[in-house]
Amino acid sequence: MTYLFDAGNWEWITSGNNLRFIFQGFLINLQIAVVAMVFSLVFGLLLALGNLSKSKVVSVTARTWVDVWRNLPLIFVLLFFALALPGDWYSAWEDNVPSFLPSAYENGRILAAILGLVIYNSAVMCEIMRAGIVSLEKGQGDAAASLGMRYWQSMKLVILPQGLRRMVPATVSQLITLNKDTTLVSIIGIREVVRHAKTVTNANPFTAEFVKGPPLQVYLVIGLMFIVVNFALSRLASRLEVGQRKAGTEVQGDGPRGSGRLDGHDVTLVPVPTPRRRK
Amino acid sequence: MGDYWRVLSNNLPDYLSGFLTTCQVVGAAFLIAMVVGVTVGALRAAPSTFLNRIGFIYVEFFRNIPLLVLIYLVYDGINRAGIISLDRFIAGAACLGLYTAAYVAESIRSGVFAVGQGQVEAGLSLGFTQREVLTKIVLPQAIRTVIPPIGNLVIAMTKNSAILGGSLLAINDLLLRTRQIYASNFKLYQTFLWATIGYLIITITMTVIVRKLETRLAIRR
Repeated sequence: MTYLFDAGNWEWITSGNNLRFIFQGFLINLQIAVVAMVFSLVFGLLLALGNLSKSKVVSVTARTWVDVWRNLPLIFVLLFFALALPGDWYSAWEDNVPSFLPSAYENGRILAAILGLVIYNSAVMCEIMRAGIVSLEKGQGDAAASLGMRYWQSMKLVILPQGLRRMVPATVSQLITLNKDTTLVSIIGIREVVRHAKTVTNANPFTAEFVKGPPLQVYLVIGLMFIVVNFALSRLASRLEVGQRKAGTEVQGDGPRGSGRLDGHDVTLVPVPTPRRRK
Repeated sequence: MGDYWRVLSNNLPDYLSGFLTTCQVVGAAFLIAMVVGVTVGALRAAPSTFLNRIGFIYVEFFRNIPLLVLIYLVYDGINRAGIISLDRFIAGAACLGLYTAAYVAESIRSGVFAVGQGQVEAGLSLGFTQREVLTKIVLPQAIRTVIPPIGNLVIAMTKNSAILGGSLLAINDLLLRTRQIYASNFKLYQTFLWATIGYLIITITMTVIVRKLETRLAIRR
């Protein structure tokens, strides 16, 4: 404890631009998370639609694809892509990277990082979206069909607007996970917050004039940065969840509790004991 | 095709030892996660604001910090502070266990609250003592709702265990063994295929078990 709070061990924070350096690394993590999330949403939706497709070939292929990637450790996937992508791609990226991007993006392996994160997370997002769509009563699709809607029309107008709304809280909590997972790209050599921390904790020719940070304190600060952002996100997720329940987008058929709106009226579902069959 | 089999037969002992280490780490972390998770879950559900807050801080800290940062914090931080020197395996299992414990605590809390205040009141009004209400009414139902989510957490923990092998801890698990094998033969697809199968064996088997448990333990109302 005395070590942890010893003033001498916190000098690094005000020394030079140590703290700003760490924070810049943290921003890289957030950027990678946002980019990967956007792509994962798009591919996740495609995979979910593939999963629910009527064609057996498409659905089995999508199912297998999702099950394989979802069940592998993310770091394993990242390492695989870092080794598997052809070197030409890396050099092509490194030659053409726009100069306004932070230096972390100058490494061609950022391609492997984003690809790995997207492939893994799109499989996870697919499951979340599929659950959202499947949770709709089958009657919704049937009703749309009986109104003469085509498959795509009913998807676009009936199923997806409701199903996707249900998956918002789960998506935000996946974003939290993704945000934490971006630290793993340091292992394939992207210069983000963990790498920046290594620079701050080690004596380094570039930072020789700065006070070296003890790892315990440096990583604690990084952890706190993640905790602040992720905690805010999780608050957002639970607020969205409550808001949804209030907005009454759903009145569960079998759940005996809760309240919602039905035909413009507020309804409260009270527990009704299921009649028990006499033996 | 022959290449694939040759890579497996040449490196089978390495693959197996990596696989076993992964299982060992996950087993040790599971014990820690359950002990700590149940304790923190109890704190979260306890009828005391002070205890609730302690549980809350634990959960929000470990749930929102990246596992990799936690590993650096614990291993690099404590070792370089020179307070105690940690064994790599113990440090890894502790990090993974403490990290997962936060999730275990949350699922236990939601399991306890899912039972419903009405049942507690009903029990009390029937003359059960507090302890009897807890052991005879709340816990038997809570455990049933909690087991499937905990099973899913164990699957997630198995996947997270690869971070231990990939980070500075360098525990000789399946991931690290795979990297070593690749470094010796440079056959990427062949080497990674078998590791993929190794991971899928663990995770898919567990998924099937959890799904079975889910249907068996479902409370029919």
